Amino acid sequence: MIIERSSNWREDFIQRFEQDGPWDSWTLYNKSYEIEKMNLIPEFSGLQAPKFLTNIQLLPHQVEAAQTVIEKMNGKAILADEVGLGKTIEAGLIMKEYMIRGIVKKVLILVPASLQNQWVTELNMRFFIPAVAYRKNTPIEHYDVVVMSMDTAKKSPHREKIYEQDYDMIIIDEAHKLKNHKTQIYEFVQSLKKKFCLLLTATPIQNDIFEIFYLVSLLKPGHLGNYESFQATFSTTKTSADGEKYLKELVNQVMVRNRRQDTGIEWTSRKVETIPIQYTPEEREVYDMISSLKTVSPVFSSSFTMVTLLKEMCSSKEATFLTLNKMIQKGMAKEERDFVEEILAKLMKLEINSKAEKVMEIIENANDKVIIFTEYRATQAYLQWYLYTKGISSVLFNGKFSKSKRDWVKQLFRQRDQVLIATESGGEGINLQFCHHVINYDLPWNPMKLEQRIGRVHRLGQEEDVHIYNLAIENTIEQKILDLLGSKIDVFEKVVGDLDDILTRKA
Amino acid sequence: MYAEQVHDYLKVFFKETNCDILSDEGYMLSVQLTTDMDKRIMNRPFYWQYIEATNSTPNPARLNLITDRAKIQNQFMGEIIHFGSGRLHQIFKATKELGSFVKMYQHSNGNKGKQQMLTPYFCVNYKVSYYCDQTKEVIYSLGINLINGEIEDNFHDFVSQLDLKTAIPDDHFCLQYIIKPGRALERLDSMIQNIIQNDDHSWAEEAKKRWQKELEVLDFFYDGMEDKPESYEIEKKGLKDRFNPRIKVEIINGGLFYLH
Repeated sequence: MIIERSSNWREDFIQRFEQDGPWDSWTLYNKSYEIEKMNLIPEFSGLQAPKFLTNIQLLPHQVEAAQTVIEKMNGKAILADEVGLGKTIEAGLIMKEYMIRGIVKKVLILVPASLQNQWVTELNMRFFIPAVAYRKNTPIEHYDVVVMSMDTAKKSPHREKIYEQDYDMIIIDEAHKLKNHKTQIYEFVQSLKKKFCLLLTATPIQNDIFEIFYLVSLLKPGHLGNYESFQATFSTTKTSADGEKYLKELVNQVMVRNRRQDTGIEWTSRKVETIPIQYTPEEREVYDMISSLKTVSPVFSSSFTMVTLLKEMCSSKEATFLTLNKMIQKGMAKEERDFVEEILAKLMKLEINSKAEKVMEIIENANDKVIIFTEYRATQAYLQWYLYTKGISSVLFNGKFSKSKRDWVKQLFRQRDQVLIATESGGEGINLQFCHHVINYDLPWNPMKLEQRIGRVHRLGQEEDVHIYNLAIENTIEQKILDLLGSKIDVFEKVVGDLDDILTRKA
Repeated sequence: MYAEQVHDYLKVFFKETNCDILSDEGYMLSVQLTTDMDKRIMNRPFYWQYIEATNSTPNPARLNLITDRAKIQNQFMGEIIHFGSGRLHQIFKATKELGSFVKMYQHSNGNKGKQQMLTPYFCVNYKVSYYCDQTKEVIYSLGINLINGEIEDNFHDFVSQLDLKTAIPDDHFCLQYIIKPGRALERLDSMIQNIIQNDDHSWAEEAKKRWQKELEVLDFFYDGMEDKPESYEIEKKGLKDRFNPRIKVEIINGGLFYLH
């Protein structure tokens, strides 16, 4: 084996010896030796980083996760803790450990743009890792640790600049954004050299098991076989209990997943309620008319359009109106147009929104701070107006807000307003442990989005039980969504592991 | 290192490097740096370039270092310094640079007036690091008797107990070395080589096994492809960088010792 010798000590010593000096201080000589001894890494195993991290209270499951990744997974892993258990801290700890051990120097961290500053602050303040946020023209060759938004990284000229660097470690936050192997970001990450690599996501499977295949193949190509063999063995059409068990075992070789209940921390519980809502006869009539549209005009033949419209009708007339009005501009036969206009007229005449009334009821009963999640901006605006007429003040939030605006909204919600109304994209990067009630006004197709939403509130630092209300209108598309969510949760639990309650448990 | 240890360490360090300690509250230290120390620990090469280029009066920094943040009300009073912080790391580095080479003589109380002989020794403190996807480090402190060539380990622990000074004590004389220090250094180097060669290297074998296993997994992924894509080679390179076992030998410090 090759032995590297470093330092010019030998030459320098001979020179000082020949000139008899200058000689150094005995005190500093001793101190220098003591420091080396103190910082020595005496074992291959075990963690050195915690003793350096005086600014952070590490939890046992975080230390254990870091140790598992380093000692058992050889530094390549998916960190898949449930939301709110500190995946960022685990990643920071692993990175710090490798840096102390001198194995990792250059690190690239890819994150959604909204989390960029948060990462930089955490690494600097808590881990004493001098990370910088990448902006246009940041000379990345001069920085060892760079935090970059995924959207920037995948584009020219940034991607080329990254390829020129030789990173020792790649960390990707919210890695479920890489579930689709046909995307630019997936190809970009695939072509990066990944000496050490961490993928962070609470939701390694959102819809089907191919997502975990692509994620693992990015981390460790071949671990789940190649595409053909994976499909042959595990394709959803012929899932067997044995196959799932085997897959779960393979996945667990590259994945650490802590669940709230195994952290040893007292977690408050989740009280999940599915709340069925009955339409008024007037609402039902409009819903049924929209339902029949697909047979009325080819404009509505696409099932995607229909699904959108029906979901919107389950949300608010405002949301529905916007879409229908857009459709009508597209041009259609006269009698078709008449029918749509009839719907629009009836829609505008609706005076009651049954769901909004239910929301009001929940807020009154809770008599506390409440977060409402909706998928539609129009509904968001409507709800604010509606609550205002009932004397309840609210503040709006969406994912496009800048860091400072987020902080401002959080402040308003904490101190002034009873209700925060957020759109879907508001699910990441805002933490609201002071609130204990979450209303899912519309249901997304993807259960992990629900989990992300709940995770804003049910995370470390939450002191009370969290109430979750999933609203669904009876005999509408929302009922189907509920069923589908249930079966997706089922797949996830079979392959990845149990989930905390998202939906009401089936008896 | 606890807050108090950091505090004591800083006091010793600045005293030893001739930086004036302006005040010391026990949890906070106010220090006037010398020009040399400013250059070593303040990270501002452009400032010094400018001062030197323009021949301006240098104005080395004055640091207010807070070693125990629990005892202060206003965090803007100074810079919080603790184990793990960048500044302390730089001071460690400066310590290493300023404590690399020594020449020391042993003093003793008794036998005043009687002529005494001091034997020359040469010592090197080595740090040996084993790297793969994991690391392990060992310190060897080897001292060699420059008269008879005997080599001892744990030399530093031994000499650090002695009363050593930079000047030769009265009534003492030093034996002339037979082995030249340059030659002694070569001997110690080959001794280290020997120690390393005889060490247990199952860690390297294990690392190679892990490497081989991951390589097989990778090959399976690209199995049957005529032209393997670039990503295959990239992954392969990544595996090598991660698992390939390496050994590094560094010298912490060392010097000449004249001992009874």
